[in-house]
Amino acid sequence: MSSLVGFLSLVFAIGINFYLFLSRYIFKFQKQKFNLFIRFSSLLTLLSFFSLMYAYVVSDFSNYNVFQNSHSNKPLIYKISGTWGNHEGSMLLWLCILSIFSFFFSFTKNIEDNFQKLTLIIQAFLHILFGLFIVFTSNPFLVNSILVNEGLGLNPILQDPGLAVHPPILYAGYVGYSIVFSIAIAGLFQNTDDEWIYVAKKWSLISWTFLTGGIALGSYWAYYELGWGGWWFWDPVENISLMPWIAGLALVHSLMMVRGEQAIKKWIVFLSILCFSLSVFGTFLVRSGILTSVHSFAADASRGIFILLIFFIVTGFGFLVFLLKEPKKSNALNLLFINKVSALVINNILMIIATLTILLGTIYPIIIEVLYNKRISVGGPYFNSTVIPIMIPGFLLMSIAPILSWQTNKINNSKKYVLAFIILSVLVILQSYFLDFNTWGFVGLLLGFWIILASIIAIFSSYKIKINIKFFKIINPHVAHIGVGIAIIGITCSSVFQNELDFNLNEGDKFNVNGKTVLFEKIETTNEINFQSLRGKFLFDIEKNQSKKIEAGKNYYPVSKMITSEAGILHKWNKDIYFILGDQKNNEWFVKVLINPFVSFIWLGVIIMMYSGLIAISRR
Amino acid sequence: MKLNRFYKFLYIIILSFVFFTLKIFAVENIDERVKKLTLELRCMTCQNQSIYDSDAEFSNDIKKIVKNKLKAGESERDIKKFLVERYGEYILFRPLMNYNNIFLWGFPFILLIIGLFFVLIKSKGNKV
Repeated sequence: MSSLVGFLSLVFAIGINFYLFLSRYIFKFQKQKFNLFIRFSSLLTLLSFFSLMYAYVVSDFSNYNVFQNSHSNKPLIYKISGTWGNHEGSMLLWLCILSIFSFFFSFTKNIEDNFQKLTLIIQAFLHILFGLFIVFTSNPFLVNSILVNEGLGLNPILQDPGLAVHPPILYAGYVGYSIVFSIAIAGLFQNTDDEWIYVAKKWSLISWTFLTGGIALGSYWAYYELGWGGWWFWDPVENISLMPWIAGLALVHSLMMVRGEQAIKKWIVFLSILCFSLSVFGTFLVRSGILTSVHSFAADASRGIFILLIFFIVTGFGFLVFLLKEPKKSNALNLLFINKVSALVINNILMIIATLTILLGTIYPIIIEVLYNKRISVGGPYFNSTVIPIMIPGFLLMSIAPILSWQTNKINNSKKYVLAFIILSVLVILQSYFLDFNTWGFVGLLLGFWIILASIIAIFSSYKIKINIKFFKIINPHVAHIGVGIAIIGITCSSVFQNELDFNLNEGDKFNVNGKTVLFEKIETTNEINFQSLRGKFLFDIEKNQSKKIEAGKNYYPVSKMITSEAGILHKWNKDIYFILGDQKNNEWFVKVLINPFVSFIWLGVIIMMYSGLIAISRR
Repeated sequence: MKLNRFYKFLYIIILSFVFFTLKIFAVENIDERVKKLTLELRCMTCQNQSIYDSDAEFSNDIKKIVKNKLKAGESERDIKKFLVERYGEYILFRPLMNYNNIFLWGFPFILLIIGLFFVLIKSKGNKV
């Protein structure tokens, strides 16, 4: 029953959007009525989504999708989040978020009516495309042709609180770029004033903040769930999310230039189209099953072709309009050897090069396979030795860019910066002299600390310190860059200075980790609702009274006959101690302990970046 | 301004000196070399994991092979060649610099040069 409601409301929502799309040419109606229709179709899409969720919650196995991906003995939270733990459901979530964005956009004030209407019509067009994709190739409301009492279960790796938050937030980032895309296209069509750039800025910041959060949540999830102690692998799926992120970052920075009266409209429009195209392209790559990963639920060629079609329509349409309706020639760029405009232009160029390099590296194995029928891998080492060196000048520039002037070549207080840089590099050299020397470690630490230091000097020497909201808005660019600096330090330390210790232990053994004694108490097996767990129990630092308990082990899921590893992590502010329980051999357990220094800095840096994203949204 | 130049000079001297001494004294032991190499190899039986990070049987075998070969004095290049012959290029996370991959490796640098030219051309008329 709920499936029927869901399906009908989905079809009805698509119908309304079709009607709205035609309204541009045939039945014209007023803005008020138009907005009402948009909101109504959003509510219908939401209703469709919630009826699918309802089918999952009550384990309605007459729905084929629920039967395939759920099981009645899962905890409630995984029944709810299981709604988007499969291809069909996740596409419905995508559509749902698209219509939520339209819903909120219909409330935007301060923009011209016709412009708003045109933007929403383009949104309606996208809704139709993805809606038809769902109905024809990935319908989550199909009826199960056999009568069953039990479902096949959800992939155990996805049975994690991460599934509840990572996909919706990531999708909010991806799909948020649809609004930016629509605004840019509408801006091209109407070509009126530059007011739309401010609207685009707000929405691109919203999407970027969500995307940042989504990617960070994904890597945190990988960090504690996949059990190899890392959080980034340059996996194709990660690359796909990184591309719109970097392009979106370039977009946010280009939109800043508007304030310097150096509107480079053409470039902004290009980036807006690019961001959404990359999002759709990413969806195509993941959903088509070309890439194997935990994200590609089931491979089906027809879906891949359909999404590829949508990708070509969206990108083709976008860039065609871009070429035909090119914005009027804007002011010439005021590029000096070093001023704000040249810093922003260089930053944009570097970011685009990084994006394109990641794109090429991600699809290159596919190209080679098609051309030569040979499988190759393009992995971390390639990206580390191409993308990171490309970004380094950008990072250096970032430390001082916010205080550069728009018009002149001068840097205020330049002596302070030079002196600070020298002192800092001597300190970093001393550090690497007394600890292990590593070129990447040296470069990373120097860059990270330099960005933080230069931003702090800039804040203290350029503005009067006050504690009020306005002040926080003014120093916001510096705060964002401090966040990046902190993240760079975390990334460098946790990847370069990671330490690994291997042990073969019996229950009751004591061993030494980082100068602290650890007791391997015992192995415990328990039966949970939907899995069996095996846990090694460790007591960290037993000499102290408050010794910490750590549990590391594995889960066995009988429904899908899969084993997942569950790492035990002791979080400290300056390091994570990461326990992995291996197999038992000759009555001894293999235990791997990783010491990851300053991992928490990565998440702290990301939180600061998101915070300043939020502040920037409220700033005009 | 004079002071500035002096600082810069001093800085470069110190930096290069320290770099060289560090490079000379940095001797990698065998485990570090194994780590460095196995981080660049794909575990063929896992999903997107390097051999170093993985504890699968396949990875442990390769780790042993790599260690023995390094001990026997073989170079990294020889070991990679041996593994490619056995398992195909798919095992290498760092693609070989060969004819097929010339575009892959050249592309970022071509873009960088184009970008540089763009900035130079655009900033030509704007000297202050």
